[in-house]
Amino acid sequence: MISRRRLLSLAGASALLAACGSNTGRGGNGQGLKQWYHAYGEPGVQQAVERYAKAYPKIPIDVQWNPGDYDSKLATSLLSDGGPDVFESTLQISSVRANQVVPLDDVFGDAKSDFAESILATHTVDGKVYGVPQAVDMQMLFYRKSLLAQAGVQPPSTVDELIDAARRLTRDGVKGLFAGNDGGGGVLGGPALWSAGLDYVRDHQVGFDDPLAAQAISKLRELYGSGGLLLGAVKDWAEPDAFTQGLVAMQWTGLWAVPAVQKALGDDFGVLPFPKLGSSGSPSVPVGAFGAMVNAKSKRVDEAKEFVRWLWVERTDYQEDFNLSYGFHIPPRKSISAKASKLTTGAAADAVKFVRDNAKASNPPDWTSVMRTAFNDAVSRVVRDGAPADQELRGAAGKVRDELKRLYG
Amino acid sequence: MKHGRAFWLFVGPFAIGLLVFVYVPIGWSLLLSFFEARNTVTPTEFVGLRNYADMLTDQPFLSSLGTFSVFAAFIVPLTFVLALALALLVNQISFLQGFFRSVFFLPTACSYVVASLVWKLSIFNGVRFGLANTVLGWFGAEPVAWTVSTSPPWYWLVLVTLRLWLQLGFYLILFIAGLQRIPQHLYEAAWIDGAKPGWQTLRYITLPQLRTTSVAVVLLLLIAAYQAFDEFYNVLGTDRGYPPFARPPLIYLYYTALGSGGQDFGHGSAGAVILTLLIAGVTLLQGRVITR
Amino acid sequence: MKALRYLALSLAAVLFLIPFYLVLRNGLATEQEITAQSWTFWPSEIHWENFVALFSNPAVPMVRSMVNSFVVAVLQTVGQLLLCGLAGYGLARIPYRYANVVLYLVIATLMIPAAVTFVPTFVVVSTLGWVSDLRGLVIPGLFSGFTTFLFRQYFLNFPRELEEAARIDGLGHWGTYWRVVVPNSKGFFAALGVIAFVTSWNQFLWPLVIAQDQDSWTVQVALSTFLTAQSIDVVQLFLAAAVSIMPLVVVFVALQRFLVRGVTETGIKD
Repeated sequence: MISRRRLLSLAGASALLAACGSNTGRGGNGQGLKQWYHAYGEPGVQQAVERYAKAYPKIPIDVQWNPGDYDSKLATSLLSDGGPDVFESTLQISSVRANQVVPLDDVFGDAKSDFAESILATHTVDGKVYGVPQAVDMQMLFYRKSLLAQAGVQPPSTVDELIDAARRLTRDGVKGLFAGNDGGGGVLGGPALWSAGLDYVRDHQVGFDDPLAAQAISKLRELYGSGGLLLGAVKDWAEPDAFTQGLVAMQWTGLWAVPAVQKALGDDFGVLPFPKLGSSGSPSVPVGAFGAMVNAKSKRVDEAKEFVRWLWVERTDYQEDFNLSYGFHIPPRKSISAKASKLTTGAAADAVKFVRDNAKASNPPDWTSVMRTAFNDAVSRVVRDGAPADQELRGAAGKVRDELKRLYG
Repeated sequence: MKHGRAFWLFVGPFAIGLLVFVYVPIGWSLLLSFFEARNTVTPTEFVGLRNYADMLTDQPFLSSLGTFSVFAAFIVPLTFVLALALALLVNQISFLQGFFRSVFFLPTACSYVVASLVWKLSIFNGVRFGLANTVLGWFGAEPVAWTVSTSPPWYWLVLVTLRLWLQLGFYLILFIAGLQRIPQHLYEAAWIDGAKPGWQTLRYITLPQLRTTSVAVVLLLLIAAYQAFDEFYNVLGTDRGYPPFARPPLIYLYYTALGSGGQDFGHGSAGAVILTLLIAGVTLLQGRVITR
Repeated sequence: MKALRYLALSLAAVLFLIPFYLVLRNGLATEQEITAQSWTFWPSEIHWENFVALFSNPAVPMVRSMVNSFVVAVLQTVGQLLLCGLAGYGLARIPYRYANVVLYLVIATLMIPAAVTFVPTFVVVSTLGWVSDLRGLVIPGLFSGFTTFLFRQYFLNFPRELEEAARIDGLGHWGTYWRVVVPNSKGFFAALGVIAFVTSWNQFLWPLVIAQDQDSWTVQVALSTFLTAQSIDVVQLFLAAAVSIMPLVVVFVALQRFLVRGVTETGIKD
């Protein structure tokens, strides 16, 4: 099907076909299942998922690759009848409440215990699992060993040391730290809370309504004001370019970047979790996983579930390939991650250890977008505008409380 | 009766499309604004005016209206004055007139996506190799993080210059068209009466004669400013969402209704209705004040 | 005085051309050159092979999406001129009891931003089964209140004598429109046609959501692939941008004379 379409497009004839009002090639015209992915940055992923889909023996699968604003596109499509049958996403309690996704507990079978509990938890609402984790992503702090040694700086183990390091490593046109073009408010808000032993939401209560939270977020302001941050880079924090190009001595990015960093810097780098604030807190790394989900509006829910079972539960070889052959991710199944040789050495091994010891859910299902927006807005105002942290966080906490009340009564 | 048939023969096809693809969605939005509609567009829980009350007390929404006002206060007069000035200049020359007109009109060919990426990644990126920072570097200044810094709010410079570049050409053409319609004999009569070419003829002939063009230009500029979306979204939006500043109303409503998992169509639609009423009011008022 | 004028205009022209220069410079250089410490005004060597890399990039179907954009833009331009032209003429010239009601409904749509009705429109179009379909890309954009309004304003000022002559020859409204009015309004149709084409070509949000299949992407959607958060290939991004604006720049330079004349004739007088 795909090759025929390619052929047509080469001939330029499909444009004419399309002009006559024919369907512009939705493969199989309703016979195949539609499966959606967002656009992964690593080369080869798109070809890989198409290969998996092609190998499915029962029905044709039409893989759709979605660049651009995936969340909005998915949200819009799930409201109509034209959405995908199977898609990847993080789980939000609102989708469960609106009956947009179906429970997948029966899909797991015996394999359920083989999935890492902490990851499964991020796809669970009210005891039911709605997504089969595909790949575990985690974020951490990368640092350049040689630059730290030159400046006589130790790898930071507290937030104050991190700020101090960012300041002292800023010299000769090199900045100390890159944590996103927004100055760190976006990606470091969660880690800052965790550094103080707090969290977004805890037992259906606001987790950051605490003077310590204000102190932790104020540290991000201090970091921003230290002059040690790189701001406005061409590529954002998710890509290691600022780090590999030598623009910064430290960067906050993810495990997925390890292959690229290794290639550019060899052994001259190390990784760390976000450090603890003081005695009461602990180091942390944000961990999350996209899961395969089934659209409740799909006309073929059972077939879709069967496909998800086949792809992400039965075909462990695909899970391994998907997680390890392109960027680095941690396979969500313990049996696979245990034997993944790429994750047993160097920075990747450290990352696995951080996930075991310091993991925090980056997108818990009950941390809804309304709450996230309220919290991120508050953090951003503190970090960039120097607004008083206690006041801003109190405002955000109020909104989160309202939202929790709406969800849980 | 005969006229009715002829009328619908001409207007009917358009009217049917307008009904299906514009008015059905508008009516639907209106309906949604009276319902609790999270993650659904076929809601069942009627809440009356609650969404409206919520939006009118919603701090971010109100501040987004403030953002729009600031943006409009910059972009509308700037575009107006510069477009008029350039139109006057272009209109007064004969050699290379077509060339200059083409150059100023050329940006209209670019999409906001293209312009945003040039502005964000090439001119105003925050590192040393950005064009703006390179120029600053020649004078020995430190690089500025243009789209990040909130004090001073440099991002306004980025957003305003971007839109200015994109839209100036279109209004320039409108002004040139307006200038070319002014009868030459008016100027000749003025010169005979002793008026000097330049400021006096501009003040007493050109500007009054351009009045209708000016009204149209201000109106179009205002509507365009209030619909601002693309460049804000592409320049300031990140995969982590949108920062809490420089958030015009449409951006805020977009994130309310469609932002990652937000999907609150009740509040989103209520905000949209408020906004529409507001712009309709401003438009009518502006039309009345200027044409008086 | 004259020299001063040319100086001011030249200065402004340079400023206006800088972004075009940047697009070309960045698209034809290497990433190392773009991100180098010191500014290079022009790539030391023009990397034509960037074009090959761009057009053979399997993740971004540039050729296909250019073709799609072209088809969509042509169909939308023709469709808009046809539908909105007829409607504008009807509103301007055919006396009818409810004509004013229709006119107000048309004008009202100018104040309602598309983003507001975005989701319901999507649901309507998806109910019709037009997702990832040419019809979904083209048809909802045909009913432009703005274009219809401009046509009406223009036709209000169309010389009545011409129409009356046609009437005497026994032509009805329909015949008059096609045989007299349209042939005498070519410049205006051309001007609005250019505007419609550009608007259609540059559309972003609607195609992003409606053109879900890679095969139905338009060029703006393809461009946004390069902007996705996780990976930006800066060189290809700028080259793709250059390629995407090329057709319009050519059209513009060729047709701008028409455009000014057309706009001069618009109803933006009284």
